[in-house]
Amino acid sequence: MKLEGKYTFKAARQKVWDVLLDQKVLASCLPGCERLEEVAPDQFEARLKIGVASVKGTYDGKVRILEKHPISSYRMEVEGSGAPGFVKGEATISLEDKGDKTDILYSGEAQIGGLVASIGQRMLGGVTKLMVNQFFKAMEKKIQ
Amino acid sequence: MAATTTETAQRWVGRSVKRVEDPRLLTGRGTYVDDLHLANLHQAAILRSPHAHARIRGIDASKAEALPGVVGVVRGKQVAELSEAFPLGVAAPVRYYSCAVGKVLFVGEPVAVVVAKDRYTAEDACDLIEVDYEPLPCVLDPEKAVEDPTAPILHENVGSNVANHRVLHYGDTDKAWAEADLIVKTGRLVFPKYGSTPVEGYAAAAQWDPLNQAYTIWSNFHGPFIMHPVMCRALGVTEDRLRFIVPPDIGGGFGIKSSVYPYMTLMAICARVTGLPVKWIEDRREHLVASSSGTDRVSYLEAAVKKDGTILGVRMKIYDNCGGYIRTPEPACLYRATGNYSGAYLFQNLKMDQYAVMTNKSLTGPNRGYGCQQLYFGLERLVDQVAYDLGMDVAEVRLKNLIPAGAFPYTTPSGGIYDSGDYSKSVRLALDMAKYDELRKRQTAARASGKLYGIGVATAVDPSVTNMAYITVAWTPEERARKGYLPKAGSSETGSVRIDPSGKAFCMVNTTPEGQGHETAVSQIVADELGMAIGDVHVITEFDTFTRTWSITSGSYSSRFASVGASAVATAARRVKEKVLKIAAPMLEVNPQDLDVRDSKVFVKGSPERSVPIRRIAGQAHWSATLLPEGLEPGLQATCMFNFPNAKPPDEKDRVDSSQTYGFIAEVMGVEIDPATGEVRIDKYVTVHDVGTLINPMIVEGQVMGGALHGVAGALYEEMAYDESGQFLAASFMDYLCPTAMEAPPIEIGHVVSPSPFTVLGSKGCGESSTMTAPAVVANAIADALRPLNIAVRELPMTPNKVWKLLQEQKAKGVA
Amino acid sequence: MKPPKFEYRAARTVEEAVSLLQEAGEDAKILAGGQSLVPMLNFRLTRPSHLIDINKVSELDYIREKDGKLAIGALTRERTIERSALVRQKFPLLTEATEWIGHVQIRNRGTIGGSVAHADPASEYPALVVLSDAELTIQGPDGSRTTTWDEFFVTYLTTSLQPFEVLTELRFPLPKPGSGYAFVELARRHGDFALVGCAAQVTMNGKGTCQEARLALIGVGPFPHRSPDAEAMLKGQKLTDKLISEAGQKISEEVEPEGDMHASTEYRRAMSKVFTERALKKALSRVQGGK
Ligand SMILES: Cc1cc2nc3c(=O)[nH]c(=O)nc-3n(C[C@H](O)[C@H](O)[C@H](O)COP(=O)(O)OP(=O)(O)OC[C@H]3O[C@@H](n4cnc5c(N)ncnc54)[C@H](O)[C@@H]3O)c2cc1C
Repeated sequence: MKLEGKYTFKAARQKVWDVLLDQKVLASCLPGCERLEEVAPDQFEARLKIGVASVKGTYDGKVRILEKHPISSYRMEVEGSGAPGFVKGEATISLEDKGDKTDILYSGEAQIGGLVASIGQRMLGGVTKLMVNQFFKAMEKKIQ
Repeated sequence: MAATTTETAQRWVGRSVKRVEDPRLLTGRGTYVDDLHLANLHQAAILRSPHAHARIRGIDASKAEALPGVVGVVRGKQVAELSEAFPLGVAAPVRYYSCAVGKVLFVGEPVAVVVAKDRYTAEDACDLIEVDYEPLPCVLDPEKAVEDPTAPILHENVGSNVANHRVLHYGDTDKAWAEADLIVKTGRLVFPKYGSTPVEGYAAAAQWDPLNQAYTIWSNFHGPFIMHPVMCRALGVTEDRLRFIVPPDIGGGFGIKSSVYPYMTLMAICARVTGLPVKWIEDRREHLVASSSGTDRVSYLEAAVKKDGTILGVRMKIYDNCGGYIRTPEPACLYRATGNYSGAYLFQNLKMDQYAVMTNKSLTGPNRGYGCQQLYFGLERLVDQVAYDLGMDVAEVRLKNLIPAGAFPYTTPSGGIYDSGDYSKSVRLALDMAKYDELRKRQTAARASGKLYGIGVATAVDPSVTNMAYITVAWTPEERARKGYLPKAGSSETGSVRIDPSGKAFCMVNTTPEGQGHETAVSQIVADELGMAIGDVHVITEFDTFTRTWSITSGSYSSRFASVGASAVATAARRVKEKVLKIAAPMLEVNPQDLDVRDSKVFVKGSPERSVPIRRIAGQAHWSATLLPEGLEPGLQATCMFNFPNAKPPDEKDRVDSSQTYGFIAEVMGVEIDPATGEVRIDKYVTVHDVGTLINPMIVEGQVMGGALHGVAGALYEEMAYDESGQFLAASFMDYLCPTAMEAPPIEIGHVVSPSPFTVLGSKGCGESSTMTAPAVVANAIADALRPLNIAVRELPMTPNKVWKLLQEQKAKGVA
Repeated sequence: MKPPKFEYRAARTVEEAVSLLQEAGEDAKILAGGQSLVPMLNFRLTRPSHLIDINKVSELDYIREKDGKLAIGALTRERTIERSALVRQKFPLLTEATEWIGHVQIRNRGTIGGSVAHADPASEYPALVVLSDAELTIQGPDGSRTTTWDEFFVTYLTTSLQPFEVLTELRFPLPKPGSGYAFVELARRHGDFALVGCAAQVTMNGKGTCQEARLALIGVGPFPHRSPDAEAMLKGQKLTDKLISEAGQKISEEVEPEGDMHASTEYRRAMSKVFTERALKKALSRVQGGK
């Protein structure tokens, strides 16, 4: 599934960059994040409790920040697996000045596997996008 | 009107007798595997791979093992220790076990099995198993898996994704190509992956006897019992240490259940590991994700033709998708139709360049019509293309190329011996029933008013009762000629008939019915032979390798009941009758040849008042055996193991009579397409069948309708769909769209009867029937509807979204 | 396909249901007809700690006309609504919507409250809640509150119902005289959830001008889509084929459907136009006495 979008944050690029990559902020903005530990530089182990409505699941996984080009772009990989299956996402996030604001553009791919993919598509197909939105909305709050 | 079971007067065969098994089945009194109760029976649940392709780094089942009620967790490692990889029908060294060993190759592949006191606990425990996977890239398209050098290789030790490749050449296609006025091509055709979703999924229970080092397995496996030696090899036991028991009832099969054997093996291993009897009942999700499906196929077909429409020769390039592991009987989808590769047509030159390929999809196997829906989808699309390219009518091109009525028995270029038929008569009947000319006029009018209406025609030679030799065409003639090689040949079946001391008949067949009505048909046949009412004939269908007389081709597959099963039981009944007459002869003071049977009596031909009840004869045979006429054994029973003399191994040119009877199907369909939504509505569907003698016309028509709807399902509704990452998308009936009665189009059935000279009653198989033609006729009808817009139909299922997309693309080009 | 462990409690009144929910904690779920919940349980997609069965809460099973509205108790079975003469007479769009739901066997058990609380993106009842600006009454530990769809539907399968709340009543404003209605949809098989569906209700004055048009589409977003712009285009106008087509076009430009194996984003978008047009035309023909 393709993921693509744009957000405008009301802050300067350096500030946005710092917040986006702050572990604490990451932990509080990743949907359902219960635990986030740095196991190596820019590599985290996470426990995510993700769910829409009653379709909840606990996923243990990894978050990795790669290809960092301060303060213009980086790549983020998230993967987790649990009883309902697994989620895997990967996106390049780039920052652009927009006056005193900053545009964030993201594009990537997400993959759902296992149970949810094989029976929940019709009802849950749009959920991944929703969570990406949730992530950036939460980030936006942190920045303001 | 259906006949009742107590009449005796006239012949039973040929009448639409009501099915004797139905009262039992319809009132919930059937006996299935799940009705089996053994002391201390435990239940299994299977943990399955969520990945299409991944290495298994580790399995931590400690939490599962600690759950109260769990008695054991079996992993791939143990499976590899306690069993061998299954024997295969190909040379590629694929190691296929009943559970993933080290690597998973498709979503749904078993990774571990939990055995627990009940299924709930077993599933709870599955949730607690942690598997560490290293995901790998996947490949799903069979052509890409072979031709794209960047495609991942599934089996490193095989070195490629090709499980089997053969080029079969019959006649001389170079010559045909040189003599042709025109070469016609289909382009890339894609036949989809779909299954058959029987009401009852797989079911297997197993027990291990440590004293005798022997297994007993109960399952709804319905043959071929070739899988008995296959499983013995895998389990490392001799055949006398593995007992198979099939209960009286199976809730549908359609070929799919001949592939339950990996699970039977897996349960046997679980029983051995835990020391307990273990049962596993497949649920619907498991069934859709990972039991067995038909084979999806990519093919390219070409024909060399004369301007007058004569087809001189055909070339096919085929990539069959067998999924993660090639599993016996695959690559049979490529070879099952060897004798009828050329279908109903006269051309003599044929080249098949065919691959059986492994990709990261679930495994395949027989699915009603096996190998034929794939073949005829290609061939019938090709014949349509011939008509298009030559500006001829699609029916006319077919009539021009059909094998003529006087040519039977007809030997095909690939070695098939078509027993009987009148193909043009059948096609003409179908055209008449559909009012073809009128339909074309309606189409012209519809087109003029902007509607999309299409008419499709398709034909098929419908093979039944395979000769197991066909599968060895997968080997080269050189491989088959190697020293010590035991040629495979035969298509036998057993029938037993016994008259008990009360004068009633008991019959046993090894055709393990899954709902086809074998009990009814056997009753009709035996009642006729022994002059009884069908209510006096009892048919026992449960099967047991330890107590039955059977052979490895036994079972229900390849529509073999009406040809070989019926022949075996009719022959056995005739032998019993012969003995009945011999016992009666001295009582009535005539020669046996002057006697016949009727109304449960033996009577003197010409003076029916001189008679003796069969009950009396039976009394003599059982109560007074010593006083029987000289030379006669006590009792009244006979067993016949029927085989066909033409069931020979392939010759050095790969020619083989792959089936032993060949029916015929001709179909005409009219469809209307909604241009706004792309929905296809079947407006008319005529199907004409030649199945030789009809034993029970009602049952034949039931098979035809079921087959037709099964084929329509594959053409318009059902698809085992995957996304690009190999995730399976249709694991419930919400997405796997099995058509219901509401989707069933009206189907008009016609019959042409050309009795087979090779079977006892002249009957041929009819269990697969229109599954072979429906996908082709639907595709042809849709193609015809879309032709004015220059849209080609090269794949199925033709979903509304797909049709709409084709229309949009054409609109964008400014054509529509 | 066996559910994970859960505790089971049955309530006899709404009050009891609320207190049982409170006792059970945040992971409890109400069990109504079970036609959506039980499949999800068996697939282990959902793992509630408790099921609070409201099937014996008979006070929630009714259909009444009250102050120009049709009030329906949350536990009213879909089949009851389908067969109700009152519904057919006063709000036939609801009857027509019901006929699209699954199969008779499903409708015998499924409830209107369950359908709306479940908020499946392709369900028919949520579309009617949206189309008619129905009022939803919800009872919780702090008493009862009333809400409307814009607050109620949050996203896929998600509503603003709080953990200890029970949906108790739905009140549909009745269509004005001179109204026509239609519910049309596209599905792969009879009884399947819609790929795309459209409910329309148009009210015409005696001169053939549209006084009010209401539209709600399903299958094209996280919850039913209402288009104030398209409705405004139709209001005060003669409903010509051209105008209807423009309204359909407008809607197809607004929606942001997700694709799945049966219908791509593009296809659903295109079908939102086709089915808006079909619904409007059928609704209009019914104002004019059509069937
Ligand atoms: C094969 C099949 C086909 C179907 N096709 C359609 C279709 O075409 N269109 C369609 O709309 N539906 C369809 N359905 C779903 C059906 O209409 C369901 O019955 C309905 O969506 C849920 O109602 P229920 O009473 O069964 O609720 P349940 O399944 O019992 O509950 C569903 C959810 O709502 C919650 N809930 C239920 N009642 C309340 C309440 N009063 N207050 C708060 N929360 C509550 C539950 O906790 C649960 O989360 C189909 C179902 C099946 C099995």
